[in-house]
This record gives sequence, C-alpha cells and structure tokens, in this order.
Amino acid sequence: MCDVQVKLVAWLDGELSPEEAARVQRHVEQCRDCAGRLGAYEVVSKTFVGYCEAMAVEKTRSRLRRRVPVLAGAVVAAGVMVLVFPRMRISPPPIAPPTIATVSVPVTVSAPAPVLMPAAVEIAPRKTIHKRHVVAPIKEQSVEWQPTETAVQIAIPAEAMFAPGAMPRGMNFIAELSIAPDGSVKQVRLRQ
Amino acid sequence: MSDDSVPLALPLLRLTAGTSEVTTLYRELRKPLLRYLVCLGLTNDEAQDVVQDAFLSLQRHLASDGSRENIRGWLFRVAHNQARNRQTSYHRRFGEPLDGEMEFLSEEATPEQRVLEKEKFRRLAAAIRVLTESERECLLLRAEGLRYREIGDVLGIATSTVADTVERAIRKLAENCNV
Repeated sequence: MCDVQVKLVAWLDGELSPEEAARVQRHVEQCRDCAGRLGAYEVVSKTFVGYCEAMAVEKTRSRLRRRVPVLAGAVVAAGVMVLVFPRMRISPPPIAPPTIATVSVPVTVSAPAPVLMPAAVEIAPRKTIHKRHVVAPIKEQSVEWQPTETAVQIAIPAEAMFAPGAMPRGMNFIAELSIAPDGSVKQVRLRQ
Repeated sequence: MSDDSVPLALPLLRLTAGTSEVTTLYRELRKPLLRYLVCLGLTNDEAQDVVQDAFLSLQRHLASDGSRENIRGWLFRVAHNQARNRQTSYHRRFGEPLDGEMEFLSEEATPEQRVLEKEKFRRLAAAIRVLTESERECLLLRAEGLRYREIGDVLGIATSTVADTVERAIRKLAENCNV
C-alpha cells in the first residue's frame, strides 16, 4: 500500500500543504492504483453531494405533498359555502346622498334669533324649545333637513355655569341645538 | 431545495441595528445549513426553525462583540448542537433510501437514466448506513463546503482527526457502493 493513499481525499479537498500536495500529485501521475482510487473517491464525493441534495428536495416535496390535500379541502369547503349560502355574501350598505335627501321632519321648531337674555335671568329651556311632533300624514309640512342647521339657540348666563366671580359679570353663552329627524337633540354647540 | 419552499426568517433580524453582516451570511449559508440539517434527519420545518434560531444566536453573538473568526463554522456548530438537542436519533434516518420519483433530475433525463441514478443512490444509502455517526457528520459538513478546520470547530474535534475521519469514510463508501 502506498503511503500517500491516506492523503488522497485531503489532496482532493485542497487541505494539504503545497509541498505535500505536489508530492501526492507526482505519485498519482505514476501510480495506477492510486489514480484509480482517486477517481473513485471523486465520484463517491460527487454522488454523496447529489444524495444530500436529493434528500433535501425529497423532503421538501413530501412536505408539499402532505399539505396539498389540506389546501384542496379548504378550497372545496369554501366553494361549498358560497354555493349553499349565496345570499349571505356581505355587501356594503347603500349610502344615501348626504345633503339632497328629503326627510320628513317630524319636528318643526321655531328658531328664534339669538336671544341675549339679561344677566341673572333663570334658564328656562323648556319654554324656549317649541317642538311639535308631526305624524306622517302631514306631509305638506316636510322641509328639507340639514343636519348642520341650528334649530334652537338658548342663551345661558355665565353665572349659571361657573362659580360666582369666575367669569366677568354679564357674560352669556349661546347653546345651539340641532334636532335629529326623530326629535331628539342631535348636536349641542356652545359658543360665546 | 427551492427558494419558495424556504420562507424568509429575517424579520426579527431586520429590526436591530448592524444586521447587514448577518443578512449577508443568511443569504449565503441558509441553504447549506438547511440541507445539512435535513440530511441529519430533521424535518424541513424543524430545519427551518433551527436555522432561524442559529441566526438569532449569531445576531446576539455579534451584538455582544463575540469573535468574528470562522463565523461559518460557528453557525454550523450552533445549528448542529440545536439539531442534536431536538433529535437524538437523527443518525438513524440518514442513509434511508429515497422513495420519491427522483423529481430533482432534469426533465431531459431518460427513464433509463432515472433508474440508474436511483440505483446509484440506493447503493450509496446502503453504504452510508455502515458509516459511524462521526464519519457521517464529517461527510455532511464537507459536502456543504466546510474546510477541515471548520468541521473540527463544529464537531469539537481536531483538524487532523477530521482529515482521518473523512478519508476513512470516503474509502468505506467507495469500497461498499461501487458508484
């Protein structure tokens, strides 16, 4: 047995020092047995790498194969649901035009001009809001509803909202009320 | 192993600073690491978990000013140890015959070539089963392009031992499988 035989694989892998590599190369060029071994080692090494690659591919494919039935089942189930419950499809609700809509307003409110009440006047909101609930047959009283329109204004003296002395005497606030179609207060805005 | 089968595992890494080095290493070594782990016997999902863990460890290693010498060997060693922790019997799986239809062969391969290739792998698989655990691991790391010194780092053995082990393993395969 040649003494370089144990270094053939290391020579193939480029792991020998330059001197050792040169010695092995010279020997292989002259020794038919070692040249044959070297060829076999090279083939085995390449086959081994191919086997590793094949095994990795094989495992990946088998994983995909395992998942395909699950995905197919999910697709079939989704199809069945669509066919069986076609009316259950979700559709967005219709959006009514915001400003043109004519609403039968059940409330007719007298909207007096801002009333600046003198100071120290007690608040009487019930007396200033005049609501009349109108039932459907009275259509001639329908008006165009504008949500932002102020329907009622109430003057509130500052003393009624703040502690005495906190605000200058005689100052009032105006509360603007917007009324919703059902008669309830939709918006309250306070301004000075 | 196709790209689409390997989901990227980097979102966490991108969140931290100084990840360009890790990202480069990830692109370079993800596939070899996955192949090595799968050949060790891990499932594809297990292998991907281990690879992600290994790169997160690398991120922490570099962030704490760990040694940058032989990072490739370091990564393989971390992945190798994690794989062994997960599965102690992996060595029995490697060397199993491939049961698939050799789909990795090119479409131009004739049926005869496919049969020959399958037979070649079957003989090699039988020869692999004769190898010791250490011989198998050395050959797997060598197949991924690691130098003997790096293999020694991964397995915790001397470089000269790696050389002897690789030489012995290749000789056994050549004698037993006649490919």
